[in-house]
Amino acid sequence: MRRKRSVGQIMGRAGIRIPLILWTIAVLYPIIWMFIGSFKSNGEIYANPWGMPDQFNFDNFVQAWTDYSIDTSVFNSLIVTVLGALLTLVLAIPTAYAIERLRFRGSHLLFTVYIAAMMIPMVLGWIPLFFLLQQFNLLDNIYGLAMVYAVSQLPFTIFVLTSFMSTIPKSLEESASMDGLSPYGVLLKIITPLSMSGIITVTIMNTIQFWNEYFMALIFLQTEGNYTLALAIDYISSEAEYTNAWGTLFASLTIAIVPVIILYAIFQQRIAKGMTEGAIKG
Amino acid sequence: MVQSKKQKYTFLAFCLIPTFIMFSIFTLYPLFSGLYYSFFEWSGSSQDKTFIGFDNYIELFNDDIIPQTIYHDYFLVAAKVVGIMVLALFFAVALTQLKIKEAPFYRIVFFFPNIMSVVVIGILWAFIYNPSMGLVNSGLEAIGLESWTRAWLGNEDWALPSLILPSVWAGIGLFMLMLMGGIANVSKSYYEAAEIDGANEWQQFWKVTLPLVWPQIKISILYIVITTLNGSFIIVQVMTGGGPNNSTHVMGSYLYQQAFQQYNFGYGATIGVMILILSLITVMILQFLMRRERVEY
Repeated sequence: MRRKRSVGQIMGRAGIRIPLILWTIAVLYPIIWMFIGSFKSNGEIYANPWGMPDQFNFDNFVQAWTDYSIDTSVFNSLIVTVLGALLTLVLAIPTAYAIERLRFRGSHLLFTVYIAAMMIPMVLGWIPLFFLLQQFNLLDNIYGLAMVYAVSQLPFTIFVLTSFMSTIPKSLEESASMDGLSPYGVLLKIITPLSMSGIITVTIMNTIQFWNEYFMALIFLQTEGNYTLALAIDYISSEAEYTNAWGTLFASLTIAIVPVIILYAIFQQRIAKGMTEGAIKG
Repeated sequence: MVQSKKQKYTFLAFCLIPTFIMFSIFTLYPLFSGLYYSFFEWSGSSQDKTFIGFDNYIELFNDDIIPQTIYHDYFLVAAKVVGIMVLALFFAVALTQLKIKEAPFYRIVFFFPNIMSVVVIGILWAFIYNPSMGLVNSGLEAIGLESWTRAWLGNEDWALPSLILPSVWAGIGLFMLMLMGGIANVSKSYYEAAEIDGANEWQQFWKVTLPLVWPQIKISILYIVITTLNGSFIIVQVMTGGGPNNSTHVMGSYLYQQAFQQYNFGYGATIGVMILILSLITVMILQFLMRRERVEY
């Protein structure tokens, strides 16, 4: 039976590659073209938008860095991302541990409340949050934004960490507390190191999420000096319609995407696994 | 070590309370408060907040733009579900069932747009649709279809359909991986049995693969619907801002315009309540429609 079908199958194998290759081009071409565009002069982009540059020049990056003060936005994005990711962990690890290991009355309910928040459209909450931040003097403040980010990723983080902690053998905690380690010590010195793989996975995903985030930054930040990279790019993009500074725009897009590509290159499997599992179980 | 009850509760409180306070302040309170705001007329300053009962809701039902935004949202939902599921399923089957050597390469490439910022995706695609320099119009000109070229995002009829491609482009990888996970769990023996029974690959797909990965398909569809209803406004905001002439406004982008650009915060909150209710109802209906028994052979 196999032999009878082999000719057709060989044709099929070749044919199946056509859509795969087409989609690969559809994904890669815009991204590669964005990189190339960031090395072209504006005149070249206008004359020949989809071709190679005559010579690679870094003027666009210099211009983005100096004229559009992308440096400030990169710095703001870094602060928001790092602080947000750290705060998420500080808040999520103890709660995940308590929900998973210290069975208490209401632990299931608490878990459900956190998980349900993943399904609710947060856009409704953003209006009151705007005024709340204003009252706390945290509006137009990157530290306030980092706090909002951290809490927004809490449900997802708690969700991933609890399922990770459930795989840690109980005997380790028991013998540690026999040896006189306090519960705080167990959490810090036993559970946290043993959950490190899960912690790394959620942290990478939160980092990418915070680095990329646009809409909350749009609402909660107002002055240019506080813009994150996403907002700065959006600003350059709307300016480019009048200034035609496409090269600068591409350079800033490149600056935004390179860290994500680096993280993806290193942690590709973790990211893919974390996202699919988050979606499937959530 | 024997712990006293008090020590145990102190530790539990240490673990739970700070986190829950932060969660309450920044997530729970704003959500409930949003419901409350929807009964007020309010331009943002504290003095002129007036209780108006259900007037915002009455305005919502009489607002001509609202039905359009709802239609646009569900149009995107339907187009994304069909576009993403068909392509993701095709790619998932191709990469798992047919022994393609370079399958990991495709997997890595196809997934990448899922972790790109919506801003980057939106700007990139806005340039692809650019009337004078964009790839779409240059491509059409190159193959002699100059009459088909148009200002894609500036055209009331074409702006909304033009948003489908970037959304599908950005979403496929994740769902392809979810489906691949499902297919990988299907035991090889089913396919062998089907082959002995003389089923060709197409029949195998319909009779074996599809029923057995139904749980993953169901979750994928639900996930696309939820994320689109709760988040489609981001790509709309970046690519068209709801224009031209409201032809791409979705519920979320209209909320943003009403609340944060025109300072009708009460009315904005009302739109938020509508989004919440519609997405909950949609999810419930979908779950009811897709409640198909789990297939086990």
